[in-house]
Amino acid sequence: MSSQSPQNQASLYVPENIVHNVKTITFIRSSMSAITGSAAGILGLTGYSGFIFYTLTATLTSFLIWSIKTNANPGIYFRNGSDVWTEGVFGGLFSYVLFWTLLYGIVHVYD
Amino acid sequence: MAQPLASTLVESQALYLDPEIRDWVLIPIMVVMVLVGVFRDQVTVLIGGGTGKKPGLKAIRESKALTRGVTLRNYGNHIQNNSFFVRKTFLSEAYKRGDYLKNPAAANHAVNPMTDPAGMEMMMEGMKKNFAMIIPQTIIMGWINFFFSGFVLIKLPFPLTLRFKSMLQRGVETPDMDVTWVSSLSWYFLNLFGLRSIFTLLLGEDNAADGMRDMAAMSQMGASPTGQPQDFHKLFLAESENLELTPHNWELDDIENRLLIKFGKRSPTVNNDDNDTIEMEDISSDFSDVKGKSKRKGINKKK
Repeated sequence: MSSQSPQNQASLYVPENIVHNVKTITFIRSSMSAITGSAAGILGLTGYSGFIFYTLTATLTSFLIWSIKTNANPGIYFRNGSDVWTEGVFGGLFSYVLFWTLLYGIVHVYD
Repeated sequence: MAQPLASTLVESQALYLDPEIRDWVLIPIMVVMVLVGVFRDQVTVLIGGGTGKKPGLKAIRESKALTRGVTLRNYGNHIQNNSFFVRKTFLSEAYKRGDYLKNPAAANHAVNPMTDPAGMEMMMEGMKKNFAMIIPQTIIMGWINFFFSGFVLIKLPFPLTLRFKSMLQRGVETPDMDVTWVSSLSWYFLNLFGLRSIFTLLLGEDNAADGMRDMAAMSQMGASPTGQPQDFHKLFLAESENLELTPHNWELDDIENRLLIKFGKRSPTVNNDDNDTIEMEDISSDFSDVKGKSKRKGINKKK
């Protein structure tokens, strides 16, 4: 469809569906952040290794979303296909830190 | 056992805390914050800010008429030239005449929110909700400060700079303790930030349990204290101008050409000289592509 203007191609995306897809990604990420935060706390990671663990698991989550949920074709679910890699990562960081602190405290600090 | 001073500063300080602190402070603060959040969300629903008052028929017609104009602009290229033109002229004329206005007599002067009863109620509603939501936050903070001060609660797994020490260790001012040992108030703040996504998980989107959202709303309210109800007359005029300026380019204009090119029955015109060799894979026998043309992208929901 090379004769379509970019404006036409942008208008081919139904807005409610895009919102629904973003909500799905946010749901996946917040659940994963809570779980991986608990894992990091139990493992006793501190400092930089904890944040590196978060980036690793966030990348793994993105990869899983990209491959399983979008079947390696994120362009039909989002306006910008590379959104699946970055959407919701910052929000997930906060719950990751919360659960990381909680589990670390329960397991390693208290007797 | 005389360890040099430098090594004790480098090693992380190990304190052993009473497990009762965990049972009676750590978990209860978290549980209380989750429950208060859920409670606030339910109270918001019960007060009926969202579904309680229905706007009148005319008000709905007003906003939907505007939406119709916007939709026509955005998706106008999906319909034929004369269809688009007919709709465009009809809507432009209707907007200019003020057909869809809720209150045609008020069309010529701005609606004063102080005198318009509907606008006033809307503003009061918003302000009431904002203040009501801030109160639980302040109460919880006061409760924590009163009962749970004077001891360290937990060790943060990540390092912070010394500047945070006074903020995070309020009540336990010892000069040598790591910043990673924090008091209950910082646990409260950690919960405040971290529980937002949990609330989204539990309560669905757009819940009223967010403490952070209230703070953002408060700061916004300070900036613009009068929430102006929209002046639809001006909006309609602007929309009719936009409509008149919209160009129209029917997407299916050269559809016969595109179809023939796709199935290899006709070579592309001189405009597309850069890709004048059609790969043989294009001439595929999966006719699902033909149906695919009328199926739009973005309709494929996630599974």
